[in-house]
Amino acid sequence: MGEVILTMKGIDKSFPGVHALDHVDLEVRKGEVHALMGENGAGKSTLMKVLTGIYKKDSGTITYEGKEVEFHNTREAQDAGVVIVHQELNMLGHLTVAQNIFIGREFKKGIRIDDKKMNEEAKKLFDRMHIDIDPKETMSRLTVGKQQMCEIAKAISHKAKVIIFDEPSAALTEAEIEELFKIIRDLREQGLGIVYISHRMDEIKVITDRVTVMRYGTYVGTLITKDSTKDDIINMMVGRVIYEDPKTQNMTPKGSPVVLKVEHLNAGKMVQDVSFELHKGEILGFSGLMGAGRTETARALFGADPMDSGDIYVNGQKVTIKSPQDAVKYGIGYLSEDRKRYGIVVQKSVAENTTMADLDAFANGPFIDKKKEKEIAEKYVESLATKTPSVDQLVVNLSGGNQQKVVIAKWLTRNCDILIFDEPTRGIDVGAKNEIYKLMNQLAAEGKAIIMISSEMTEILRMSDRIVVMCEGKKTGELDISEATQENIMNMATREIN
Amino acid sequence: MANKTVSKTAGTNNRSFIDRMGGQKFIVILIVIALFILFCAMSPQFRKYTTVVSILDYSYYIALMAIGVTFPLLTAGVDLSIGTGLICYSLIGGYLIVHHDWPTGAGILVTILIGVVFGVINGCLVALMDLPAFLATLCTCMITRGLGSIVVGGYGIPWPTATQPGGWFRNIFKIQMDGMNIPIGFLWIVLLVIIMSFVLNHTKVGRYTLAIGSNKEATRLSGVNVKFYHVFAYVICGFFTGLAAIAYSAIFPTVQPGSGAGFELDAIGGAIIGGVSMTGGVGSITGTFAGVFVICLLKTGLPFIGLTANWQQIITGLVLIASVLIDILNRKKEGK
Amino acid sequence: MEAIKQNPLVKKVGFNRIVLCIVLILMYALFCALTGGNFVGSSRILSALNYAYFLGFLSLGVTFVIATGGIDFSIGPVMFCCALIAGFSLVTYGVPLPAALLISLVIGIGFGIFNGYLVAYWSVPSFITSMASMNIAKGLASVFTRTQSVNWPQANDTANGWYRYLVRYNDIPVGLIILIVVAVICAVILNKTKMGRYILCLGSNKEAVRLSGVNVKKWEMMAYILCGLLVGISAIFYVGAYTTVQPGYGDQYNNEAIAGCVMGGTSMAGGLASISGTIIGVFIISLLQEGILALGINKNYQLIITGIIVIVAVFSDVVARRRKN
Repeated sequence: MGEVILTMKGIDKSFPGVHALDHVDLEVRKGEVHALMGENGAGKSTLMKVLTGIYKKDSGTITYEGKEVEFHNTREAQDAGVVIVHQELNMLGHLTVAQNIFIGREFKKGIRIDDKKMNEEAKKLFDRMHIDIDPKETMSRLTVGKQQMCEIAKAISHKAKVIIFDEPSAALTEAEIEELFKIIRDLREQGLGIVYISHRMDEIKVITDRVTVMRYGTYVGTLITKDSTKDDIINMMVGRVIYEDPKTQNMTPKGSPVVLKVEHLNAGKMVQDVSFELHKGEILGFSGLMGAGRTETARALFGADPMDSGDIYVNGQKVTIKSPQDAVKYGIGYLSEDRKRYGIVVQKSVAENTTMADLDAFANGPFIDKKKEKEIAEKYVESLATKTPSVDQLVVNLSGGNQQKVVIAKWLTRNCDILIFDEPTRGIDVGAKNEIYKLMNQLAAEGKAIIMISSEMTEILRMSDRIVVMCEGKKTGELDISEATQENIMNMATREIN
Repeated sequence: MANKTVSKTAGTNNRSFIDRMGGQKFIVILIVIALFILFCAMSPQFRKYTTVVSILDYSYYIALMAIGVTFPLLTAGVDLSIGTGLICYSLIGGYLIVHHDWPTGAGILVTILIGVVFGVINGCLVALMDLPAFLATLCTCMITRGLGSIVVGGYGIPWPTATQPGGWFRNIFKIQMDGMNIPIGFLWIVLLVIIMSFVLNHTKVGRYTLAIGSNKEATRLSGVNVKFYHVFAYVICGFFTGLAAIAYSAIFPTVQPGSGAGFELDAIGGAIIGGVSMTGGVGSITGTFAGVFVICLLKTGLPFIGLTANWQQIITGLVLIASVLIDILNRKKEGK
Repeated sequence: MEAIKQNPLVKKVGFNRIVLCIVLILMYALFCALTGGNFVGSSRILSALNYAYFLGFLSLGVTFVIATGGIDFSIGPVMFCCALIAGFSLVTYGVPLPAALLISLVIGIGFGIFNGYLVAYWSVPSFITSMASMNIAKGLASVFTRTQSVNWPQANDTANGWYRYLVRYNDIPVGLIILIVVAVICAVILNKTKMGRYILCLGSNKEAVRLSGVNVKKWEMMAYILCGLLVGISAIFYVGAYTTVQPGYGDQYNNEAIAGCVMGGTSMAGGLASISGTIIGVFIISLLQEGILALGINKNYQLIITGIIVIVAVFSDVVARRRKN
């Protein structure tokens, strides 16, 4: 480890309603791989966005190569040598590898773009990284792993001194990860400072020199990796926060029937052999870190994405679900984490959204019975305590919590007995959160079966009767609430898979 | 359809036999040859030198339009105004020559210039004002149609014939030698294909056109002046439509106001048959050029086998749909 | 200005529509003044109405397609195709008149199914299907009629002339009544039925509607089919007013129909549509056409003006949406 190249000190950043970063510190040295860890929403990405100029910090200082700096956009950061390798690749699929690496700063010979030189330079970069990619290959033909290598090559070609890897291994195979690590070690040898964001505990142990842990937008501490254990890190990540009234016991009535049984569900890379049961009146929490495959499981189960194989039983009957139409027919409702895109039609009214999934029930032949529609919408506005001036209000004008209630009303109108809540309180403020929780409990008490996907440990521990933990597309554990602790959930969610 | 899972193009290195870039071109050339043989076999009249000349006559203006429209298509846009635009530019240029005694050279220059101006207009509407490309250019399509008719007052414009003074421009495309027509225009078109292939593959203009069609936001984030190059794609299209107007005026005796609708289908159809993807980013000038000949063969060949030229419109429409469907199916396969 | 917009009565009728009505009245006054009172006569109005009928049906049809977030600019040529094939069957093959009218509707619906199926089930961009249909329609009509224009029977044709009464019966503008009735039906479909609800919602957020368990493909296709039916109707009113149809034309009506639609407040982005707005928009276009005719201005100016109207209307929609985000 060499001298300090980058110091972030007392970085503070607020968004309306959220204190995203609260005086966070980070120090990166030349020739080190520095892990940045924390639960979902701990503020890792925000911190990196502040560094690379995507967000403007409220206060704090960034010192880079001995000088205080403030980048205004990614390009400025790039020019200075601070480069981020994104999880989502910013690539131009139809162009070649070399063309991608040098986009916007092509070598030229007269008016001609000197592709030969670009290919040579790209080749040199790859040689330096000891990897074998043909610079003339079309980008979209490469595997995701190779595409990532190209992003790294692009970063290096910017004469980067600090490279930030944002969950680089999420989409890679074991062999590709090996290759990635080789490159990262090489870069470390060459004296670059590397920030490595990942959830995979095993990787952290293998590749990093130091670990900085964040929690709820605050800096928790920095450890030397080889001197600390996995438990040390997990303890720092979950902290000693008192969780608000966690459930202590399973509230599902004894002997309540299984309403949904999923067996050996497979759908792409993110859902591998997932099986579970859901009982009437139960809230089944789905825990796991970002990218664990929970949303993908829900979408496959709901027919929103195609499933590869697996059996689904509703009330003991085997069913085939090929589209959301089928799922809805069997009484399954899905409340997406991204309400604006997948949940509601924002430019339409509360009433129109309420009856969206069950319009047939409100139609006399082809005509919509608007009176009846209005009645049911008003009924749910009242019973869910939705804050809206009238049911004719456009949903776009409601707050996040009230939008969520409209989506709930939509599925209740359809009489769905199985409800999948995907991050039910994301983007919802604290007061409204409690209301949503109360509603969910009430629904469960009324005999609805609920699957709740959540990345918030508090939420999982407070709401679930049982907990399914997923990690990298596989189910890694199932716990009754009475035996669940944050530590053992986190352990399952970060389990090494070989 | 919006899909939650981030599109990860799982790349495969085993290229299929009919690879998209080289492959589609290859197939299109085979289709051209097959069509030619088919027509030859079915009609003795078709097997004549004059037929070849007449196929080439049609190919000039369609090919020029198609080369031009390839650029907007590559940015994932389109230009529907090229057909009526061609007629409009030719009418105005010819009007100045015929009714105001302008020298032919000046008339030609004006024709091309107006093409460029409309290219700029289209580019601004699409790239700067964010209008849907098909809608903006549908409007300029109507505007150019009206404008052309207004300028000439509704009468056809006969550009000077080859024997008249100022008719030299007709010899650019066809010269008479011993009573035979030599279609030298083909040489110019081939030359332009080579030049524009170079522009597309080896200059910034081409590179950024493809990049915009591939991922506009990523291109912008790479520090490219996306707006400029986006507009420029339409300017190239306008310029080539101007050239196509000259080719059209040189081949046909008169230019009629109000015509030109439907030419754009021939050009866009040619480009898409030649492998230009509707979603932008993929395509080549040589492919477009090959695709144009499918259209031209249908246009000239169908009457020889007893079908009127109107069938060509129907068949071109169906072929267009078929090529787009192939493109969609290909992408679906790749997406998996 | 804001105060006017917030007035409950204005809100109910729609600010945009009030402005359009004022524009319509001002245009009429302007033409009267410019033509020295020559415009006041009922013949001009009736002539403008003749234009409004067929254009109205076209515009109503395309309103549904635009509401889904798509486009159809094959409507003009398809209308001609309907009129030509139906007319040719009637005049040359002696098909009975009711059957001929039915043929017109069937062809319109046929094109609607073709466009809708490709767009909804195969995700072909709607402007591609439009372009293809436009040329297929022109080609088909030309092939069928052997590139000859078709003269539908005159009103004095005792056997087959009665279809013209659909447009006008002894100076009673029957066409206007029918247009209004159809517009009301369209408004009911758009605002009061499942179909209209789904069309508007999927135009606004197709994925959310799909995830509510709605068969979005079916309803998207229905919009195109309804459009096709209205195009078939418009063909009948075109020949009812003008009797003669020529193959190879019809493109200019695309733009005029779309202009009426976007002027009336239907958003190109989908999800927002107004039938009454479309109808007022159509009246403006028709009056403009008649005014240009009355003033002896080259009719090609109509093309340019309509083009500019569409650009301005769509751009203001783009700006409005940008401001909202």
